Amino acid sequence: MSATVLHTEVGVSDEKQTAAKSAGRRFGALVVRLGAIAAFAAIMAYFVIFAPGFTSTFNLINVVEQSAILGVLAYGMTAVIIGGGSDVTEGGIDLSIAANMGLCAAVYATLLSMGYGDFLSVLAAIAVGMAVGALNALAVVGLGILPLLATLAVLNVAAGMELTLTQNTVVGASSPLLGVLVSGSFLGVSALAWALIVFSAIMIVLVHGTSFGLRLYAVGGHPEAARAAGISVPFYVSFTYVLSGLCAAVAAILTVSRLSASTPGSGELLLSVLAAALLGTVFSRRFVPTMGGTLLSVLFIGLLANGFQLLNVSSYWVNGVQGALILLVVAITSFARGSEGSR
Amino acid sequence: MSVSANDNSAKVSVRGFLAKYSVLIAFAVIVILFAVASPTFLTPANLFNVLVNNVVMLAIVALGLTIVISSGGIDLSVGVSVDMASMIFVMLLAAGYGGVVGVAGGLGAALIVGILNAILITRLNISPFLATLGVLFIGQSTQQLATSGGQPIYLTSGYAADQFNAIARTALFGIPTPVLVLIVLVIAVHVLLHRSVFGRYVQAMGAQPGVAWYSGIRVPRELSMVHVLCALLAGVTGILLSSTVKSYVPLSGNAFLLDAIGATFIGTTLSRERKPSVIGTLLGVLLLAIVKNGLLLVGWNFYWQQVGIGVLVFLVLAASFGLRRAAH
Repeated sequence: MSATVLHTEVGVSDEKQTAAKSAGRRFGALVVRLGAIAAFAAIMAYFVIFAPGFTSTFNLINVVEQSAILGVLAYGMTAVIIGGGSDVTEGGIDLSIAANMGLCAAVYATLLSMGYGDFLSVLAAIAVGMAVGALNALAVVGLGILPLLATLAVLNVAAGMELTLTQNTVVGASSPLLGVLVSGSFLGVSALAWALIVFSAIMIVLVHGTSFGLRLYAVGGHPEAARAAGISVPFYVSFTYVLSGLCAAVAAILTVSRLSASTPGSGELLLSVLAAALLGTVFSRRFVPTMGGTLLSVLFIGLLANGFQLLNVSSYWVNGVQGALILLVVAITSFARGSEGSR
Repeated sequence: MSVSANDNSAKVSVRGFLAKYSVLIAFAVIVILFAVASPTFLTPANLFNVLVNNVVMLAIVALGLTIVISSGGIDLSVGVSVDMASMIFVMLLAAGYGGVVGVAGGLGAALIVGILNAILITRLNISPFLATLGVLFIGQSTQQLATSGGQPIYLTSGYAADQFNAIARTALFGIPTPVLVLIVLVIAVHVLLHRSVFGRYVQAMGAQPGVAWYSGIRVPRELSMVHVLCALLAGVTGILLSSTVKSYVPLSGNAFLLDAIGATFIGTTLSRERKPSVIGTLLGVLLLAIVKNGLLLVGWNFYWQQVGIGVLVFLVLAASFGLRRAAH
């Protein structure tokens, strides 16, 4: 509710708009949103009819499980984009998030294999993740380095430290916590799926249900106005980077549980994380990043890969179709924006 | 009063000076440190090796990105342009065509990537970030489909390997061909970006897109040109890459992306307005290449090199941005 109010406030442009114009704008935006959702629905309908076993509970839970890692990372990225604004080169972005996850996973698996317990290992992984986030925050907020650039440098540091720690090898790991995450279930839903559900609920409430989230949008949308209103812009922006680090650590624990090990190459997730966070803007009324939108696009990407698998389509197509869909959705969106005559 | 004011402004200008030249200073310090630490570092043979193996290809990709970033955009698909040029080039040679057809085909493939980007950005109004991200994904799929999941294509001597060698392993006036190519391209892009009408337009679009539009610049046309040029430059790197390693390895172009973005933005610290420039970009590329090579010579293993580069880039940026902020 409160988030909606903010969108209207932030969205009021300088020139007065006639009722008819704003009604037209609302209508255009509605058409696009419905169009995007209809496209998603059409693809899903195709899978439901033609992909064997697509709708089985087992399969759907499997998709949610597979989406958990991407989802948690995409939440971190979404928070950073909300707090930093969505400008291409100067806006908020965290390129280090996937490498950070790799580093946290390496720390977690290494400590476990050295015989430290779950408690200490989890704590260390979270501390490392948040420390990397804090380093990003220091660079972006404290030193004023462009986020794109600062997080690029931190990406190299985190990826290099992961390689140094693991010597580019697979570090196997097992622990009671991992056992619960792998095989535990509650109400017929597995632990990994629960992790995504609970994490999603926390993020959605934090960003869309509290005054904190409201201020975060203000900071990203209109930093000057937010400053004038007495909001501490540096604090909020720093917070998003540390939160992004925390998300990386949580995703790291999930990925170690899924693979029973920390494996090299987690940096490849970065582009999918970016795609999920950016694609999610289509689901919001004003095309801003939202946690709910990110969740939908993460699930959509997961369902897409899964449906292809069930249809026996080569996995080589998945990236391409994902890319084409991003372009399609964004083209329709920008077309609708352009026809609003807001320029 | 006036004395203290002068004092202040002197301090400010020292800081401004340090901020402006922090990359150059860092560069000099690093060269001196490596020269002391490793006797082979400053030898002509080693510097030549750095130039041919670490500088040329990255620099050409970074030149393209410099143009795009000057126009206020970004191109995440440079790796795809590198790969597609490399793929078509190697496929044509493997099929028995000569070097000329190979090079033309390779550049043609990169051109198609550039045109695709241009259409998405200027006709469909997709932001450069998302448009080129989409093209990146599509390009990765295309390569996987064309090579049954990423099988490299090697050029053995049975194929037209003679023309193949002609590019990377020859020299003119004692200068290796790749270095010559780089020199020509650096001069061309410098003139284009800093001395031509087109360059003015590009800079205007980067600084004030709205104003550029209203002052009659044909933004879509110039922007299309920007993205086509960037893809073509990346294509040149693709051809040099496969003629150096005598093969096409799918999805290898992406390795250039982050380094090239880093080099371009390191270069922007040279200008007060943080504008990208050809000289700045070259300096950024040299900095990255020298550090990689120096750490190798000092005996750091590959894994620590990455940490070292990250820390170093971070420090250079921190110095430049932090000092400038303090100067204001």
